[in-house]
Order: sequence, then C-alpha cells, then structure tokens
Amino acid sequence: MNVKITTLPDYTLLIIEGRVDTTNAAGLEKTMMEAIDGGCTRIVLDCTGLNYISSSGLRVFLVIQKKMISIKGHFNLCNLQPGIKEIFDISGFSSIFSLFADKEAAIIG
Amino acid sequence: MENKTLLVDNQMSELRRLADFLDDLGEEWELNPGLVFSLNLVLEEALTNIILYGFQDTDKHSIEMEFSRTQIDQLVVSVIDDGHPYDPTQKEDPDLSLPAEERPVGGLGIFLIKKIMDKVEYHRNNNKNFLILTKNIKS
Repeated sequence: MNVKITTLPDYTLLIIEGRVDTTNAAGLEKTMMEAIDGGCTRIVLDCTGLNYISSSGLRVFLVIQKKMISIKGHFNLCNLQPGIKEIFDISGFSSIFSLFADKEAAIIG
Repeated sequence: MENKTLLVDNQMSELRRLADFLDDLGEEWELNPGLVFSLNLVLEEALTNIILYGFQDTDKHSIEMEFSRTQIDQLVVSVIDDGHPYDPTQKEDPDLSLPAEERPVGGLGIFLIKKIMDKVEYHRNNNKNFLILTKNIKS
C-alpha cells in the first residue's frame, strides 16, 4: 500500500494505491489521523489505485468517517473500483460514506 | 475435481503468502480477478479471526486451506485449524441501517464471508474446526 498526501488550500488530497489489509491497516489509520490532527477538515480520498480491501481497511475508513463527522469535516471518496464498491455495498458503507464518481466531483461535493 | 492445499502458520505475515498463492491459483484455474479478490478477502477474514482469537497458547499452529473445484463449477475451500471450538456461522449480523456515528467499529469480517460465499458451513471434528466455504463459479 502507498498513500500520497497533498495539502491544497481548500482540501487535502490522499491518493491510495495497492492493498489495504490486516497487515497494514494500522499504518493507514495513523497516517490519516495525523493529517486530521494537523488541521485538515476536508479530505478527498482518490481510490483509483486501491485494488484490495478487507474488513481491517473498512474499519479504518469508518474510524476516519466518525472522526470527520465529529469535527464537522468532510471525507469524500472517489474512483472506487467495482470490486471495492461491491464490498462497500455489502457492508452498508455506500450509504454512510460520500462516494463520488471522479475527483472533480469529490472536490466540490 | 482439482485440489490444492496451502498450509500457513498462525502469523499475520502469512497473509502475504495467501495473496500470492491465490494469484497463482487464479492463473492456473483461470479464475476471474473478481473471484480471486473475493476469495482473498474471505480467507483473510477467516485466517485473521483464527490467528487473533483461536489459540490460548503462544505456540506455533498450522492452519490448512484446502481448495477444490468440483465438476459442477463450485469452488470449495475448507479452512481447518486446531484452535478452540468456534462456529462463525452463529455470529449475529451487524445492523447496516445505523448511521456512521452509531456503527460499531469492526465486526464485519464474518458477515462479509457469509455475504460473499454461497454457502458457509461449520463442523468440529477430531478437536479441529472445519469451516467449509462454497462459491458457485458458473460463468
């Protein structure tokens, strides 16, 4: 897994690539929490390159979503691959996350 | 009927080996990438549960995954461990209607196994847990 963080004037862009599983989910949580603690209230997570997620990864996404709701921030995900979207649907995550078809929509949304 | 077996230790680092094994199996059995993804996810959930909660001692244990493809286009994976008795099929499903603030963190793994596979069976035999996972692969 690779996460690239770019801080822009209006939002923080996170580009995630590879696999999020039990072995690396804690690292992802730490990285994202540090970004939030650093003051970012608007996260756009580009999932174009995310090709695998297990419940450990879903857990991290939920933790981040709860955190963003508590600080009245925004956590917008975009470009989910079909396999990832299916897991979101099964888990009921599609209705508790803001999912966008592309990055441009996620930035505005 | 074709068979393949993967033996792993009760260590999280073995998940890497599982992923590699499934990539190879996918190529050899010409499984579509979506199915390989599903199998990886389901087996990661099963293994993680066994590794984290299955054993009371700190000894090394071997967990066996036996893959077979039947002539009626079913893929069957048996996950066999010698941990304490645990039947994941009895676990209650999470409430998916809750808003994010109220959703409990975690507890999705077994639910995903049940939703993704077509059949999930459990039995205990010779002091071992057998979790039998079946997926229809008729294309």
